[in-house]
Amino acid sequence: MKAESFEKIVDHALADRQLQVALDRGTTRGVNARLLAMSETTDAQALRHQARLARERALNQLPELLEQLERNIIANGGHVLWARDAAELNQHVLTICRQHNVRRVVKGKSMVTEETALNHALEQEGIDVVESDLGEYIIQLAGETPSHIVFPMLHKTKEATAQLLHDKLGMPLTDQPEAMTRFVRGVMRQKYLQADLGISGVNFAIAETGTIATVENEGNNRLSISAPPVHVAVMGLEKVIATWEDYAVLVQLLARSATGQRMTVYNNLISGPRRPDEPDGPEAFYLIILDNGRSRILASEYAESLACIRCGACLNACPVYQNIGGHAYGWVYPGPIGSIITPLLRGPLTAPKLPYASSLCGACQAACPVEINIPDMLLKLRRDLVQAGDPSLGWRLGMKGWAVAFKSPMLYRLGGRIAGWLTRVLARGKGHLRWLPPPFNGWTAHRDFPAFGTPSFRERYLRRFKGQPHDSKKP
Amino acid sequence: MSAREDILTGLRAALAHSKPFPGAEPAAFQAVTRIDPGEDLVARFIAEVQRVKGEVHTAANDDEALDITKDLLTSHHVRRVVMWDEAHLPLRGVWALLERLGIERVYGDNASVAAAEAGITGADWALAATGTLVLSSGPGRPRMASLLPPLHIALLTEDRIIPRLEDYVAAQRAARFGVFRRSSNVTLITGSSRTSDIEMHPVFGVHGPLALHVVLIKNLD
Ligand code: SF4
Repeated sequence: MKAESFEKIVDHALADRQLQVALDRGTTRGVNARLLAMSETTDAQALRHQARLARERALNQLPELLEQLERNIIANGGHVLWARDAAELNQHVLTICRQHNVRRVVKGKSMVTEETALNHALEQEGIDVVESDLGEYIIQLAGETPSHIVFPMLHKTKEATAQLLHDKLGMPLTDQPEAMTRFVRGVMRQKYLQADLGISGVNFAIAETGTIATVENEGNNRLSISAPPVHVAVMGLEKVIATWEDYAVLVQLLARSATGQRMTVYNNLISGPRRPDEPDGPEAFYLIILDNGRSRILASEYAESLACIRCGACLNACPVYQNIGGHAYGWVYPGPIGSIITPLLRGPLTAPKLPYASSLCGACQAACPVEINIPDMLLKLRRDLVQAGDPSLGWRLGMKGWAVAFKSPMLYRLGGRIAGWLTRVLARGKGHLRWLPPPFNGWTAHRDFPAFGTPSFRERYLRRFKGQPHDSKKP
Repeated sequence: MSAREDILTGLRAALAHSKPFPGAEPAAFQAVTRIDPGEDLVARFIAEVQRVKGEVHTAANDDEALDITKDLLTSHHVRRVVMWDEAHLPLRGVWALLERLGIERVYGDNASVAAAEAGITGADWALAATGTLVLSSGPGRPRMASLLPPLHIALLTEDRIIPRLEDYVAAQRAARFGVFRRSSNVTLITGSSRTSDIEMHPVFGVHGPLALHVVLIKNLD
């Protein structure tokens, strides 16, 4: 991301009423659904710990598990390819496309292919790519990028969605999500049937049987996997897990944390290509395993971030994400976990402001089904930035000052421009904060906290003192 | 060095340099979803399927099950179905029923299957705690029957209902996971297809079936 533009992007996001409405509706539903779904489990705390241990065991044995996964997939008739970086992954897919004379590709949701910009690589070779997930498809139509790892079009209201489908595809205008969904279903049907190759992501890869598991609700992923004659699955190397018992706990916590469901509608378990005696399914199956910086993360003190199962709960729970949305984070992975893995995958100086786009309130960690200590890693990344000689020093010092100031009411008064900026973020341009981080959450549990005015009282006071006209616009 | 060697060597070096999670021991496994002691699994399964917008029709015997299937097909104006072979269904006489109703059975490529208005399948197992059907692909068991048509009719006997996903996993472990070698695709189906992409507002009936009907047949004791 362009470092100097972060504040600008955030200011635009705060001023965008459509975005603010969409974020409000979406994240509130997401948080409530998760809280309810986790509270009705046998023991939410014990289960989170069990899920965490499952991820830790997998990370501890990554090389062995990946080899076991590969052996089992080959035994089932599939192929396994390895990619050191994004370019190598895209190259593998292009080679497969050439081997199978592929002209049309249909894709299920995959964050890894966003990471490698695979669609672009395919389109450059003249291959037609269609995203099949409803949200991803609408975003592709709009020429945008996802703003949430589970709900890619969370930044769009239903009204904006209807307008887009009307403009691009001639759908009659409606404010009913049901009608829009039915319309897209009709458009997508033919695309599945005509596609020469289907691409999917991987939520878990179960080493002991060579099975890849995907999680979805719409059926688009199942169709992308099952209808075309070739299936290519792509995964970050951290997705491998050891056993089916681990799968059982992880997949259920993923559903409950991501959408508040007990199980997602479809859990697809793919073990290689169709068997000779099976009536349908793809004849060829490829799994591509991507590193792209992950082994470097494993060697660092941020290894814990590889435990992430991409449920999106930390995004929904984050007061900063709730206000600025996903695009402000500038790359594929937004929100608290994005603030960690973006600089880790791309290098710290590519996103020097992300580790500061947090009040370290801990809401992300409390929401995380695998107990990732996000605030702790954000602090360490700030330290690394200082050591690396971050060029945006003034901004950073301001933010650091703000974090300290939050803990000290006296300093808080002196917080200045940066405090004003972050409280405006948290108040999403509405002039009040629904929520403050500790130790001030006692205040906002029962009342709103007013955002700093623009201009601030101090600035207005000075202007008046100098005889300038008083800006009477309500902050 | 190949990418494979490079990556594996890198991972081994990373883990040697600092085993990031030294204390992670295999834990005793706790099931996720609550089931009360003595809870009626059949009643729970029915309630859970209804919760996720599926419908369950209970049949006291095979004749009732055939009647229910017939009503579903006629009320949905079904003229073509894609179905599992009868050997894999828990109910005899479905094929004969289709012939009586003049309903065509479609096979073969996706384009012909896409014309079917209904899919009829059995299920390997059903999970009571979450209202989930477990279907494995195989000879006579096309994946598309539960996926492409707008209406999915699943025929199930009560003795296939087990408590939870964890019990399914335990049973597969006891059977040495043969199903994942035989079947390229095992699908866990919980309700009819849905999306929450538009403002996290749930909409049912997206790319998969618009409606899921389970015909649940009592076992003769
Ligand atoms: S860090 Fe935790 S809460 Fe955030 S997406 Fe990953 S698993 Fe979910």
